[in-house]
Amino acid sequence: MNSPWKTEVLAVFRKEAMTELRTKSGLATGALFGFATVVTVAFALFNINPNRVDAVFRDAPLKDVCASLLWTIVLFSALLSLPRAFLAEEENGTADLLRLMARPHAVFWGKMLFNILQTWALSLFLSVLFIAFTGLEVPLPGVFAFCLLGGGASVAGAVTLCGALAAQASNRAALAGAIAVPLLLPLLQWGVTGMKASFGGGFEGGGIAAAVGMVSYAVLVVVVGPWIYAAVWKS
Amino acid sequence: MVTVWSFLVPDGADFPRPELARIFFWHFPCPMMLSALLVVGVYFSLQYLRASTSEAKRDWDLRAVSALELGLVFGCLTMVSGIIFSYSQWGAAWQWDPRQTSFLIALLIYGAYFALRAGHGDPDKRAANSAAYMMAAVFPLLFLIFVFPRLPQVIRISFHPNDTVMGGKLHGQYLYVTLSLLALVSVLTVWLYRLRVAAGLLHIKNPDGQLETHRRPTGPTVVARPVPLSSEGGENR
Repeated sequence: MNSPWKTEVLAVFRKEAMTELRTKSGLATGALFGFATVVTVAFALFNINPNRVDAVFRDAPLKDVCASLLWTIVLFSALLSLPRAFLAEEENGTADLLRLMARPHAVFWGKMLFNILQTWALSLFLSVLFIAFTGLEVPLPGVFAFCLLGGGASVAGAVTLCGALAAQASNRAALAGAIAVPLLLPLLQWGVTGMKASFGGGFEGGGIAAAVGMVSYAVLVVVVGPWIYAAVWKS
Repeated sequence: MVTVWSFLVPDGADFPRPELARIFFWHFPCPMMLSALLVVGVYFSLQYLRASTSEAKRDWDLRAVSALELGLVFGCLTMVSGIIFSYSQWGAAWQWDPRQTSFLIALLIYGAYFALRAGHGDPDKRAANSAAYMMAAVFPLLFLIFVFPRLPQVIRISFHPNDTVMGGKLHGQYLYVTLSLLALVSVLTVWLYRLRVAAGLLHIKNPDGQLETHRRPTGPTVVARPVPLSSEGGENR
């Protein structure tokens, strides 16, 4: 294991990408679940204009609801597909081989980078569908994209770490999601604020502040995650 | 004595139901103990991850889980007493107050820690993964308990007061009872923590100090059916 750190990270990343491209199970599961949920939400909003502003309170309550619905869809789609990064290694018996071939930080970085890209792709796909089906307007697309990128990276980092911690437990798939959601609740509050602002339902400054908060959370998870994983690497 | 005293102080002023304002005496120490036990639990989890021998790891894990279990109990007491206070004073048990909500999320993170422990059968994996989870959870927990409730935009809209004790808003007997109960609950917490650690150590060790897994049988082995050794005995005798 004297190869450069970057080589190991790229090797793990390439392995994840090739496995996913071969089976497409993670993307397919997340995308199918998300698509079905978007359609269900669209049924609920059928014939309702989510952009309508209340004449008395000058607020758009449905934009709040749509922002939280979108984040719920993205979060649960990610929870279905991302923990597999570490769970599959334990189930297939390849975890010990990985411990022999690479360093813990490199393994975590490789898997997390792939999961971040996968979450970004999934959230972009689901967001486009959501906006198309509900007819939501997005007057601040920059804030929207910023929230999606920061939130997606945070969700991917946290769920990857929780998947690593739950990989050797019983009922590991459900447990990984169960322990990740409480850690992500503060992030989701920022996500809803940011998305609502991007839909024109709040202050642009508040939306930008929320997006910055999400990016900060992502940076924290990305920096701290590998060290935490390395602490349980050998157990 | 302090309990009796808490019922003898005058009713609280500026409350819709002044006689029930004394719930505060029992509500206030609980989040203080939760915060202290959280810091202690995080420290012990970090020490577990840094320990090198299995005995040291076992001890640090026991101390961490003892502190965090007690912290969860105090967290639930905080939530319940807060709900009772809210219902008695403002007629609503749950108001989505920012402080109430952030505390609920903190309790969910605590619950996830114990769910992760329950999911691992192997004690070493259980200890390692739960200690790592506590390291990951410490930043959201510190934010939810110490930072978020003190943000200006949260203070503006929250029903929950922020500086009742530290801001000098308690006077006379109310202050003395509050501080006395805080001291009493602190002593109780330390006592309960030490009991929990002692119980955990007893669970691991048997009375003569050996690990149960290493215990050897002490008496002679009893054979149920003695088998004759010589061929002269024979089976048809």
